[in-house]
Amino acid sequence: MQTIEEFISNAKALPPAPTFLARLMVLLNKPDTDSMKVVDLITYDPALTASVVRRCNSAYYGFVSPVDNVQEAVTRLGFWEIYRIVVMCSTTRMLSPAQKGYGMEANELWDHSVATALAAEQIAKDLGDDEAAAFTAGLLHDIGKVMLSQQLEDTYIKLLVEVEQNGSSLLEAERKFLGFDHANAGGHLLAHWKFPANLVAAVWFHHKPSLGKPHQRLASYVYLGNLIAHFMGHGYGGHALALKGRSEVLEILDIPVDRLPYYMIKTMEQIEAVRSIFNMKT
Amino acid sequence: MGAMTIEAMGLANLTHKVVVGIADMAVSNNATVTLATHALGSCIGVSVFDPVARVGGLLHYMLPVCSIDMAKAKSQPQMFGDSGIAALFRSAYDLGAQKHRMILCAAGGAQVMDASGVFNIGRRNYDILKQIAQEHGLKITGEHVGGTVSRTMYLQVGNGEVRIRISGQAEEIILCKQLKNS
Repeated sequence: MQTIEEFISNAKALPPAPTFLARLMVLLNKPDTDSMKVVDLITYDPALTASVVRRCNSAYYGFVSPVDNVQEAVTRLGFWEIYRIVVMCSTTRMLSPAQKGYGMEANELWDHSVATALAAEQIAKDLGDDEAAAFTAGLLHDIGKVMLSQQLEDTYIKLLVEVEQNGSSLLEAERKFLGFDHANAGGHLLAHWKFPANLVAAVWFHHKPSLGKPHQRLASYVYLGNLIAHFMGHGYGGHALALKGRSEVLEILDIPVDRLPYYMIKTMEQIEAVRSIFNMKT
Repeated sequence: MGAMTIEAMGLANLTHKVVVGIADMAVSNNATVTLATHALGSCIGVSVFDPVARVGGLLHYMLPVCSIDMAKAKSQPQMFGDSGIAALFRSAYDLGAQKHRMILCAAGGAQVMDASGVFNIGRRNYDILKQIAQEHGLKITGEHVGGTVSRTMYLQVGNGEVRIRISGQAEEIILCKQLKNS
């Protein structure tokens, strides 16, 4: 059985690197970055610029006069709102295709990823942490599935049988048949693409955040975001909820379990807003 | 000339689907309607059907009790089990349904693999339904709850048939058979 490093080096086709997103993450991690530098980076990509401007002119925002450019969009909607739109626009193409190896139809991984990102963001925001990192890590947390899906197309049914007959989690079943799982595959992929260490760790350890030190808080936001997305039905394929409950994340974040319903309600409100901008399912 | 019925127009076999979103519900006495709710994770879908009045309703609630958020309970009672089930029954009564005839089915309430039971929202969502049904002397005729699967639930208002489909599986499971004389 090959290792994840061997898998990546032997892979004929990895998902196309989101070079814009990697550059954006590096830029945001620099202490002297201001919003103008980010706007410059966005406008360097005409297709992305057009997509962002189109979203800003959706009925949801209700502008009487349309937004013409990214700078104006930042002025009207604020940097954070534009950041979210930009990150979602730049990952849509990568996350939208069907992932047959995981039993997911077109747009289902995208829908799950956005729901996870919004939930992770809400929790980080509530606890005064970096909501941009939580949102981005949430959006990318299953990127490993994009890489492994093709490999699993003939094995998917065996994964489900393993869950049903032996009570394994989907992650354990992946490890049994592949030798590694989508979480460490995703972490490796982001590291390969030169993403910042906190995002790599959060994706790598999103199913076991306590191992993600020193970024275990960020990994915990993604873990809970993923859980909330599944609870709310934004999860797909057979046995979508066959994942381990990790109560230690509540200790890492120092929150009571009673807080989860509040985050679910907040996430639902955010999904409603994003759905009208990005045509997500209800 | 009086209004023609659906049957007289020869349209009885035409059906249309009404999708009930999360934290929402729909009630109908239109025999051509199939109520559907998708992606029940830890949420619960509850269907009610009065075979005499031919009234059916479907609720998709997300959380067990409205005391979690009283403001939301007022603006969106369907979000919670206690306020949502009450609202579902009230709406069915408005269309002529009666409690003692009501056939109740449920689906959803999935859980993650959590031996500690900390993340047991699915279980608590189901428990509140059981509790309310017991308090009101109602029997749950068909149910498909718990486990780690996501489900879609359908209620055919014309004949009371309730079906579910498990995500990742093609075949449907019947929770409540259709009326014989439908």
